[in-house]
Amino acid sequence: MNVPLATKPRPLQETAPQINRVLLLSALVLLLSLGAWGYQLSQGLIVTNMRNPFSWGLYIATFAFFVGIAAGGLIVSSSVYLFNLEKLKPLTRVASLSAFASTLGAGAMILPDMGRIDRILNLILHPNLRSPLVWDVAVISTYMVVTFLSVYVQLLPEWRESGRGFFNTWTKSRTPEEIQHFSKIWSRRVAMVGLPVAVLIHTVTALIFATQASRGWWNTAILPPDFIAVAVASGTALVMLVSLVVVGKARFTEFQGAFALLAKIVGGALIVHFFFVGVDLLVHGWWGSPESQEIFSLLFGTYAPVYLTELLLPGFTMLFFLTKKGSSTAKTLIFGSVLLFIGVFAHRLMLMFPAFNAIPLTLSLPGIGMESWAYPISVGVLRPGLPSFVTFWAYTPSVFEVVIALLPFALVTFVIALALKLYPFLPVRRG
Amino acid sequence: MRLGMVIDLDKCIGCRTCTVTCKSHNAQPPGIWWNRVFTPGSDFHQAASGQEGHLQMSFLPVSCQMCDNAPCEKVCPVGATYTDERGVVLVDYERCIGCRYCIAACPYNVRQFNWEDPKKAKERVGYEKGYEYGYPVEIRDPDGRLIYTPNRPVGVAEKCTFCFQYTSKGELPACVSSCPSKARIFGDLDDQESEVSTLLRDRSSFRLKEELGTQPKVYYLPPNKQ
Repeated sequence: MNVPLATKPRPLQETAPQINRVLLLSALVLLLSLGAWGYQLSQGLIVTNMRNPFSWGLYIATFAFFVGIAAGGLIVSSSVYLFNLEKLKPLTRVASLSAFASTLGAGAMILPDMGRIDRILNLILHPNLRSPLVWDVAVISTYMVVTFLSVYVQLLPEWRESGRGFFNTWTKSRTPEEIQHFSKIWSRRVAMVGLPVAVLIHTVTALIFATQASRGWWNTAILPPDFIAVAVASGTALVMLVSLVVVGKARFTEFQGAFALLAKIVGGALIVHFFFVGVDLLVHGWWGSPESQEIFSLLFGTYAPVYLTELLLPGFTMLFFLTKKGSSTAKTLIFGSVLLFIGVFAHRLMLMFPAFNAIPLTLSLPGIGMESWAYPISVGVLRPGLPSFVTFWAYTPSVFEVVIALLPFALVTFVIALALKLYPFLPVRRG
Repeated sequence: MRLGMVIDLDKCIGCRTCTVTCKSHNAQPPGIWWNRVFTPGSDFHQAASGQEGHLQMSFLPVSCQMCDNAPCEKVCPVGATYTDERGVVLVDYERCIGCRYCIAACPYNVRQFNWEDPKKAKERVGYEKGYEYGYPVEIRDPDGRLIYTPNRPVGVAEKCTFCFQYTSKGELPACVSSCPSKARIFGDLDDQESEVSTLLRDRSSFRLKEELGTQPKVYYLPPNKQ
């Protein structure tokens, strides 16, 4: 096959000089965030606004967000093989890269949430196999390896030719055709192994919450399938967004079919998500126990702005992406994806608010005519003007929490930008 | 042996002596309370609640319920929370990684976290210099696991140990021995002759959030309506 010189695969640097600015900016944010983490390490988690009544906050929500968007890579790669979606094939590398980076982001976000990061090895030395947290560590680590391998095997043929990359000295003794063949077979194999792992990271992350009967908002079997639906939507949207950057305006029409298909996947996954949300609300609400009334008053009262963001923005994206107009231009695709990301982030935050502010130890006191009375919880910190015991904790993240939660955003951006700068992620233009 | 506690709500006068002795015997840092007493139905402790002149007031002490099916133990990723051979749920301060999953899991909200270095906290809140309280030496279980120290490490979870420092020597927990109206009875639930077993046989009792299936070893004898 004759490939004209001008269309040889090339890293993004030659086509997009602004990538250096992205790298610099993300590196700066990364440093700032690490600095804030350093301060938190010296002071303890007191620099956050989490307290005993509200013990998980922005960090765990952000972690769950990154686990969600990590799905896209393998969903795109495996559907190429499973459903013969040849249209998506040129995007599998970008997909794997964004998945690997997001997994890295999720892993990085967990670390500042730990009160004793110095004891992290206990997870390996003394794992409690009954803990869903241990299952999550196992599947997320596996997914990180699988997505890394996926990127690696797909880049090998180019690395063989250009002499770039790493772990590739062994390819020198093989012909380019052999490596091409190796890459083809192993891309498929990795994608096939990766798909169940991708499903598992969402299932298990959801199980961390869903197993807890103490928290009515979490304790539902719909949570794992819903996590998968949200992950397919937001993960695919991330692949689309990164691909749009890589493809650029010039080559958009070449991949328009692929983008339209991705938009359809996002829209379809959101239909499933809203179906689950509807069923969940109905089951929570129909029986009308004081516990579910409490959750509803948190959802549609106290936290209505966040909850409506969670419902309306992705709802709009769902409808928008299922129309021809919404799925046919780069601008509309970016617009819909960004709305979706904001909505999904709100969704992750809403994992926490109704769970922690519905006090588990709520008692019914028939003699007093009271159906639910919440037993006050010790705040955990003695401060002037602050009660020692509360039945509601108005959690909003502290400045330190916000800066530290930027860590995965900066890391993911940096890793993706660096990889795009160094290596070619878009295959040769055909024809 | 399954150590358990019976709390007679008829006898509890809501004086919070147990809360205070618990805190001082176990060197709980500022802001941390293993043992709470509140007035059900009321926003304020020691304030009656009820309707149209039919007021009543009872008290409900809550500390670790020492569940047989303890969610905090099952969620702990590193096995820092465990149940010893006497059925007491304990936390290993040297093993805990501070993930706070147990705090989310506990339906009784008894788990406390060391959000800051207790030494700094004592200084910040203005505890008198040199004022040290609590059992003075660290306690390790037979396997050498650190389950009590007067100087708590920052970033770990903690909760009631049934006063391991006393009960491991056959003495009573501080809340039991200090209760002025003898509302708390402590003993072996497996021993049919123990006072706790006799009380549970003779009187009606309930456990908190029984419907969750946590199987607490703390039982309450309901108050007579007054």
